[in-house]
Amino acid sequence: MEFDFTPEQLALRDLARDLFDKESPPSRLRELWDGAERTSLCWRAMSGVGLTGLTVAEEFGGMGGDDVDLALVLEEAGRAALAEPLLETVAVGAPLIAVAGTDEQRSAWLTAIAAGDARVAVLLGDAPFAAGADDADLLLAERDGELHALPRGAFTATPVVSEDRARAMCAVTLEATPSTRMAGDASGARLRGAVGAAGMLNGVSMRLLEMTLAHVKTRQQFGRPVGSFQAVKHRLADAHVAVESSRAATWYAAYALATGASDAAVSTSIAKSYASDAAALANRAALQAHGGIGFTWEHDLHIWLKRGKALEQAWGSATEHRRRIADALFEGADG
Amino acid sequence: MDLRYSDHEEAFRTEARDWLRANVPAERLPVADTREGFEAHRAWERTLHAAGYAGMHWPEAYGGKGASVVQQAIFVEEYLLAGGPERINTLGLNLMGPTLMVYGTEEQKHRWLPRILSADDVWSQGFSEPDAGSDLAGLKTRAVRDGEAFVVNGQKIWTSYGAFTDWIFAVVRTDPEALRHAGITFLAIDMRSEGVEARPIVQLDGHAGFAEVFFTDVRVPADQVIGEVNDGWSVAMTTLGFERDAPAASPARYLRAVNDLIGAARARGMDGDPVVRDRIAELYAGAQAYRAHALRTLTRLSRGERLGAEASMTKLLWSELEQRTYEFGRDVLGPYAEVLSPESPMRDARLWNAYYWFARAATIYAGTSEIQRNIISERVLGLPKG
Repeated sequence: MEFDFTPEQLALRDLARDLFDKESPPSRLRELWDGAERTSLCWRAMSGVGLTGLTVAEEFGGMGGDDVDLALVLEEAGRAALAEPLLETVAVGAPLIAVAGTDEQRSAWLTAIAAGDARVAVLLGDAPFAAGADDADLLLAERDGELHALPRGAFTATPVVSEDRARAMCAVTLEATPSTRMAGDASGARLRGAVGAAGMLNGVSMRLLEMTLAHVKTRQQFGRPVGSFQAVKHRLADAHVAVESSRAATWYAAYALATGASDAAVSTSIAKSYASDAAALANRAALQAHGGIGFTWEHDLHIWLKRGKALEQAWGSATEHRRRIADALFEGADG
Repeated sequence: MDLRYSDHEEAFRTEARDWLRANVPAERLPVADTREGFEAHRAWERTLHAAGYAGMHWPEAYGGKGASVVQQAIFVEEYLLAGGPERINTLGLNLMGPTLMVYGTEEQKHRWLPRILSADDVWSQGFSEPDAGSDLAGLKTRAVRDGEAFVVNGQKIWTSYGAFTDWIFAVVRTDPEALRHAGITFLAIDMRSEGVEARPIVQLDGHAGFAEVFFTDVRVPADQVIGEVNDGWSVAMTTLGFERDAPAASPARYLRAVNDLIGAARARGMDGDPVVRDRIAELYAGAQAYRAHALRTLTRLSRGERLGAEASMTKLLWSELEQRTYEFGRDVLGPYAEVLSPESPMRDARLWNAYYWFARAATIYAGTSEIQRNIISERVLGLPKG
């Protein structure tokens, strides 16, 4: 019985943290917010240390990692408000191609993903937009219940404006043909997307609380730090407890996915609904404790506030996932 | 990350489950708020001890089995699922025993440890006072040295089973001149001593679960000081550390409560109501998140790590979850929530309502939620004291 990460997994987390700090600092996010061209610098750096191929099998040049290996990297991506398609490519795309791709699709795309040459966008079900599709080399999309792998040229992506300007949400039109058809379905991808979004969301919440703690320890009112007032402290304590238990729930879901456990689907919905709720709590506490300065464009806080609000809804809201939990409970329980 | 139990642990689970199935009394024991009920529970503690399930986490040198924290958690879970009786001996087994192992002299260990294991001595905890609850260091009970004894005067309150227990471990003030935390001593006091009077307090559920204990010129032999005179605060903090690291409320409890909610919702024809389904799913997610949190904690404890202030996160999580779960139960029960009648859609309305009210106490006992939030914000998050 061991519910923790290995030294290798912790080292990978540290590697990702350092890399994101260096390649995707708030100043770079600001540039993206201001409309700067996207570059491949960060993605290249990620592939250089093996992150893009983390979930790709070794035979295709990847690290052969699973959902648990990826869990802390996703948290770091959230902490950094990373603007790269890590979730779509590494958490969802590569595993989906591995289980649902044709032999040809697998050897072509998995190799390219590990090498850092393919960014993936995903459009499942009736989702109206795909994140990062304008910059994607491959779109994995469902049409009429069929799963397709569409290379650049087989789809067009039109950016819509997201309130999180580093998140390139796109409307997509596509040409699905028998030649783009994949062999399997997207059920596992839905779960991986939700667990991945929960992990990133937890990272966003952690960063929001880190910023808020730093603020309330130094900001003085009535001659003392505002963080010494119980009304402030208790709210932050509640948010911290919610986020930490959310991390545990999300890790459990990742473990259930990685081991193919029978409770993988319901654990996924528990993780995403709980992470969304915890994130909403942390989001409100963070802005409230910052006071007026947190409501300005100039302060970096809103970069994380907005990423958090986007990820709360991404891959299913808390309400949607609770609906799935209830369906499982009321079908299964013997009350 | 590997959540499988070892063969050894699975074997232990099977053995414990089989034993509990064969030995848990079929009829519920009388409530432990009468002498008769208390003695029935003491007899059950003796049965547990004879089978090796009392104090199994104690080192073998002290009569325990040296069981791992994982085995303890397994036993707590199986005990719950088997519907085992309330445990009256936990203060001795989980707090006083381990404290003696750290601070007791050889004579003290020899004198008390075996009798704790066998439930021949059941202990109470004498920390809270009428004017010292959350602010424990404000305690006023005095102990004055007189020859080979201390003479104790004062009052303790919220003492579990105080009217029936054999011994009490108490913190008392021995140096009124010293600053708050200094000048406190940790004493073992025989409840049958002259001058000890325990008056049961009737709780709002009608049961007398705890007592107030009055000390009037009680002579306590000086060899019953645990640790050093005037160093009782350190001893008490060690005791509270054991309380924090003890197996936390089992997640199985809340998963079962949610299952009861589902059953009641069905019986009331509310199982198709999207609002009810959403709330029940939320409580279930909370219970499962608590379970994941508990697994994380268990992993740390099994490596020999201490939780320290982080234990407050666990307490806050389960107590608030427990309260929200039983609170929503009243919404599901509607007009049946207030009645203790067999017509209730709840399998056992009387028990459910008892749990409801006990859940209301959960955010008060063992450190209120407000105190837990102070501890988390100051000692985990590093925020300044107010």
